[in-house]
Amino acid sequence: MNKKKVYPIYFVFGALIIYIVLFVIPSLIGIGYSFTDWSAYSDKLKFVGLDNFKTVFSSDEDYMAIIINTLEFTFITTILKNVLGLVLALLLTKSIKFLNFHRGIMFMPSVLSTLIIGMIFQSILNPATGLLNTFLRSVGLGVFAGKWLVTSELAFGSVMAVDIWRGTGYIMTILIAGILSISTTYYEAASIDGANGIQKFRFITFPLLLPTLATTTVLNIIYGLKVFDMIYALTNGGPGKTTTEVLYTAVFKKFGTGQYAVGTALSSVMFLFMVVIGVFMIKIMTKDEVVE
Amino acid sequence: MKIWRKTLALGLAATMSLLLVACGAKETPEDTTGTSDTTPTTAAATQAPVKEDITISFMASQDWIQDAELELANKFTEETGIKVDYQIVPSDQYPSLLMTKLNTGECTDIFGGQSGQFDIQTQYNVEKNAMDLSGESWAANVDPLAAAQLTVNGALYGEPIQDVSSVWAIAYNKQIFTDLGLSIPTTYAEFTSVCDAIIAAGKIPVYEAVSDGWHHVLWLPETAVEAEVVSPGLVDKLNNNETTFAENDTLKLILTQIKEMADKGYWGDNYMSNVYADAAKNIASGEYVMVVANQGFGTEVNTLDPSFSADNIGYFVMPLADNQTLNVNPSGPSRFIYSGSKNADAAKQYLAYLASDESLAYLTENVAKFNKLPYSNAPSKYTDTIKDFYSRYPSQGTVFQTAVKYVNPQWMDMGTNISALLLGEMTPEEVLGTIDKTRAEEASAAKDAAWAE
Repeated sequence: MNKKKVYPIYFVFGALIIYIVLFVIPSLIGIGYSFTDWSAYSDKLKFVGLDNFKTVFSSDEDYMAIIINTLEFTFITTILKNVLGLVLALLLTKSIKFLNFHRGIMFMPSVLSTLIIGMIFQSILNPATGLLNTFLRSVGLGVFAGKWLVTSELAFGSVMAVDIWRGTGYIMTILIAGILSISTTYYEAASIDGANGIQKFRFITFPLLLPTLATTTVLNIIYGLKVFDMIYALTNGGPGKTTTEVLYTAVFKKFGTGQYAVGTALSSVMFLFMVVIGVFMIKIMTKDEVVE
Repeated sequence: MKIWRKTLALGLAATMSLLLVACGAKETPEDTTGTSDTTPTTAAATQAPVKEDITISFMASQDWIQDAELELANKFTEETGIKVDYQIVPSDQYPSLLMTKLNTGECTDIFGGQSGQFDIQTQYNVEKNAMDLSGESWAANVDPLAAAQLTVNGALYGEPIQDVSSVWAIAYNKQIFTDLGLSIPTTYAEFTSVCDAIIAAGKIPVYEAVSDGWHHVLWLPETAVEAEVVSPGLVDKLNNNETTFAENDTLKLILTQIKEMADKGYWGDNYMSNVYADAAKNIASGEYVMVVANQGFGTEVNTLDPSFSADNIGYFVMPLADNQTLNVNPSGPSRFIYSGSKNADAAKQYLAYLASDESLAYLTENVAKFNKLPYSNAPSKYTDTIKDFYSRYPSQGTVFQTAVKYVNPQWMDMGTNISALLLGEMTPEEVLGTIDKTRAEEASAAKDAAWAE
């Protein structure tokens, strides 16, 4: 290795200082506040130890349900977006007519503002006047017309479905890029060996696409844990107490009622989740990486 | 060479730091100038109207601002050059957003908020977050009862937006009642018979809008006046922390009956997704027969459908727990000027404009639900139907969100819990227990002596 080609360490200081001042220190202060009784009602701060975390994990409160909701949302949307994105990516890398048109249509929802999508879907999923139920009734499938966003049974599923619809096109685009980067020589060789489509996918496409899939998974997981706008616009955490409440909507409400300390405790719990999951994902992703 | 590079790098780093420091330092003198600028303008504003190209921002909940007010805002802009930027927020999201803005110090010049002598202190902390408006020209015109709900330590902090003389009662379609041979119910049992008869006639008895998050809450604190009738002194005991909501049987009965109404189909199938903005449309269509509304509702329906006479809407109090006491409430949505506003003079000028004789007359004339705005200089337009309604109930009681401390700030939480009750996730006892718990939290945060251990 030619040492002269490596930049000196002090080149990183500028970026590092900005990063520390703007990201690391506020995060640490935030975690620090979660051990106090910080609220909008009093200017004085008192150290309360783990009281806020006890509240967060107490069985009398709904925070555990909120944490479980967030994890459930992340898990389900990540899997479905990846699977559907992969299927679409496979279909849209074949030579079909109007290929770019199809790709564009699938990618379109990702470009729209989440809040606008939320409002549009609130109208589409209205049980009485919504487009979906009106359509189902008009084709004689009224039996499937549901109260999408307003019952405990369907609300969370509906919110996840809208989010999957919005996010699949984005994942598909990344996977298309991944598929197109696979050399065609592998497929030609496989064809000569008599491999069918499924075998080509299983032994060529899928293994070579794994690094891309790992990237999309990480993106989805981070998005899922941080989801806010979609839930806020569609149900605002309802119906009822915690049907679709996730961490960020709960944190937002806590800040809204001036209970900053509990809000920061919730954020700290989420931060911990993201660190654990992040480290775990990086380990998996870099497992087979060859260091040159 | 190496030294030259190092010197260059250090030089660049030093320049960057200087730039950063310079950018940071620049704010201070600017800020100071901004503050010192405000004072002379304030003095000037009281003498002569400000005529500048400035925009004042105004944040309010969806149902609080009427089209007529927006039209007045345009006229105000024409006359003064000051633009008013209304930021209307969906009602279910408004309380959280307002509190977040106030707590983070980023509020709009004017903000809408519910009045209430206890809540404007504990929730909005008006002494810190809002400007004292006692010296404004219109302050003396505000109805004394309404003003009391906007006053802290003798200082007036808000300007009422809506008519507070009207009460939330059941507005009903008189024609359908006559056709079905129904009369005004005076007990809950009679009310259920009325609803059963309406369902038998193929119509939906009550239009209820749960998705807004606030409307379905009305049934509890508005009919809670009956709890005071059954147990006199209850309000004082609640305010002195000598009893709780959960201990009161009347409140439990009201919640049980709310759930029963929904379960029996009196609210139809779509009450969870209905919005209050569609109430007039649905009553006009005849699909629904009753709705909890103010006394301007008849005119609202008439405006929407001119063939539907305003007098075809009658009113009676919500007879849950057999309540027959008129539920009055001198508090309502109001305008406050944010203490951190940089356009305070323009905002004051706008509030003065809205409280002028002409504006109040314009609002009363053009907003269907306004009969008498709470100002001595506002005209009145009560009809015989409304006079008849008020005279039918000789005894009056103040609604719990105004009479009892720490109820109004948790209105949307109550909405969430009552919708959980409707979904079967909570029992009436749990809903009342949660109200008590939240009251205790707010009281201890506000260092209320009655809650001190």
